[in-house]
Amino acid sequence: MDVDALMQSVIRGDMQGAAALTQQALDGGTGPQEILDKVLIAAMDKVGEKFAQGTIFVPQMLRSAKTMQNCVALLKPHFQGGGMTTKGRIIMGTVKGDLHDIGKNLVAMMLEGAGFQIVDLGVDVSADAFVSAVKEQEGQIVGMSALLSVTMPAMSSTITALSDAGLRDKVKVMIGGAPVTAEFATEIGADCYAPDAGSAVVEAKRLLGLD
Amino acid sequence: MDTIPVQTYSPRLRVLNHSQALAIHHAALEILDKTGIKMEHDGARKLLTDHGAHHDGEQWVRIPSHLAEEALRTAPRRILLYDQVGRKAMDLRDDQFYYGTGSDTTFTLDLESGQRRRCVLDDTGRFARLVDGLANLSFAMSMSNPKDVPKVEFIYVYAFAEMLRNTHKPLVFIADRLEDMTRIHELACAVAGGEAQLRQKPFLLNYSEAISPLRFPAHVVDRLVFCAQKEIPICLPSGSNAGGGAPVTLAGAMALGIAENLAGLVVHQLTRPGAPFLFAPNVSSLDMKSAVVSYGCPEWSLTQAAMADMRDELYGLPIWSFAGASDAKSVDAQAGAEAMFSITTAMLSRCNLIHDVGYLEYGNTSSLEMVTIADELIAMARHFTNGIAVNRETLALEALERVKAAGAKGLFLTDDHTFDHFESALFLPNLLDRSRFETWRDQGSRDLYRRSNERARAILSGHELDPAKDPGVMGEINRLLEKIG
Repeated sequence: MDVDALMQSVIRGDMQGAAALTQQALDGGTGPQEILDKVLIAAMDKVGEKFAQGTIFVPQMLRSAKTMQNCVALLKPHFQGGGMTTKGRIIMGTVKGDLHDIGKNLVAMMLEGAGFQIVDLGVDVSADAFVSAVKEQEGQIVGMSALLSVTMPAMSSTITALSDAGLRDKVKVMIGGAPVTAEFATEIGADCYAPDAGSAVVEAKRLLGLD
Repeated sequence: MDTIPVQTYSPRLRVLNHSQALAIHHAALEILDKTGIKMEHDGARKLLTDHGAHHDGEQWVRIPSHLAEEALRTAPRRILLYDQVGRKAMDLRDDQFYYGTGSDTTFTLDLESGQRRRCVLDDTGRFARLVDGLANLSFAMSMSNPKDVPKVEFIYVYAFAEMLRNTHKPLVFIADRLEDMTRIHELACAVAGGEAQLRQKPFLLNYSEAISPLRFPAHVVDRLVFCAQKEIPICLPSGSNAGGGAPVTLAGAMALGIAENLAGLVVHQLTRPGAPFLFAPNVSSLDMKSAVVSYGCPEWSLTQAAMADMRDELYGLPIWSFAGASDAKSVDAQAGAEAMFSITTAMLSRCNLIHDVGYLEYGNTSSLEMVTIADELIAMARHFTNGIAVNRETLALEALERVKAAGAKGLFLTDDHTFDHFESALFLPNLLDRSRFETWRDQGSRDLYRRSNERARAILSGHELDPAKDPGVMGEINRLLEKIG
């Protein structure tokens, strides 16, 4: 497998090139988990760094993420037995009463690029819906977003609902959105606050002890 | 025989030609007719289809052009806003412009410590009072997301009441649910002396938003319909931001935003023809590094200048716009640069209701200093926009003859002409400093941030509302608020 070439093609966002190189690596006998961890996720780590430094723009970061996801799709049928090992499963949503999702979508894409599996519940997500998703999908992190200050209390309600369902100690809760603050996160008993997509990746790794 | 006076030209910025305006307008109509909008409000959807719109399944509705054209025809071309004691205050039409502050910011710059901290209700009051005391600010908005309201579900009602207590000027307000609207309307009627009085002399305007692309949530349309029925002026700018909710190219972002605005206007005018609707979307840009919606970018100034041109070419309705805001995190050179850029262009392009003055950190932090500085920047822009009066007095040939005749002692500075005219001829700054270095140094080497901080404090401690607030009305406001708590 030409690690360098595949890495560069993901970083550059060369969708066709990366797909071809991924297929080549699979045909050459490299295992899908190795391709995923050693190259694809490693490439997205580099993309994440460049993005954090401000040397690439959001559309470019997203193109790299899309390229990576394309390659992952090629890998999927080749996983034996238990399937692809990811860093963890994250249940994401914009809280009840709030319909804004650009920020949440960016965070989801960055987390996926970093090797997490995302279950995106969309917008206007009730506390019950979060709880059900954690139960059914065995999520390890719940990520909540809000743009309106009137909907922030829904974050607290969701945490309460998780407690009531006996799930609070089984998940980590991460929150974000324009009016949200670290102070608010502490107030409501969330595990952390992330101000932007880049930090969300760092925090997610930290919460699951992966850093 | 007297000659006909030389008319003074007021500088006017134009950014679109007729073809561009038409092309964008046709694209907007095409979006309405062929793509459609997602109308999640059942009543509004039925209203649209009853009048000829096509229901495409789920909640998608396509709106034929004639509905948009008819709504533009019935909507008033002039919205007259009064102040809270019934005086005419803002004549929103054509080339009249009015500046004011902005809505909910999570943080504010503390006047004492300079620290960025969460807003409280007192801040809402302070910003309203500052606006009341600044000559070049015409309306107030909350400039805060107060964290200490008794019930957070009614945050907008408490904010509105706090503004009522601290200024007489017109208010632009936010609401979330229909219940917020009805309570705010109740408060406003108490101030105006009744619903009929408020309808006759509205001192408030609601700011609501559809969600780009193309989404009209039910609770938003509830507010739109309520305002139409009660004839409370409303604007419904969606955030069709380039690269965010809208295409990254400005023409496409404008077309989408206009389409969404027209869809709202159609529902509004079908509900009550002739009810007041302030036109135009917010077309800023998503920053391509931080993904924030930018409040200092040149794109927003450009697209709203284009909206003003489209108003003059096609729509005729007064427009909503912004200025005096920044993405800077403090009151620094970036804040000054970005604020001045938008203040000047908004005025030169004749935007009508110009909000967000005093915003820092892309609308996350409000600053009393920025509002105070902007007041002077608006005056400076105004001086430029007034142009150059050319007449016998201003040509000053007689003054010149006197100076010549006085020989070596001839000095314009001492001439009566200068004494008589300097205050109107020149812009006389209060905050912008032109003193000699030694004077400036001896007075403490204070920069603009410090000087504006001092001026804001002086206004806040010294400014009296004129007339004073009616205790009976204030009591009624308290009583209505207690019903919530």
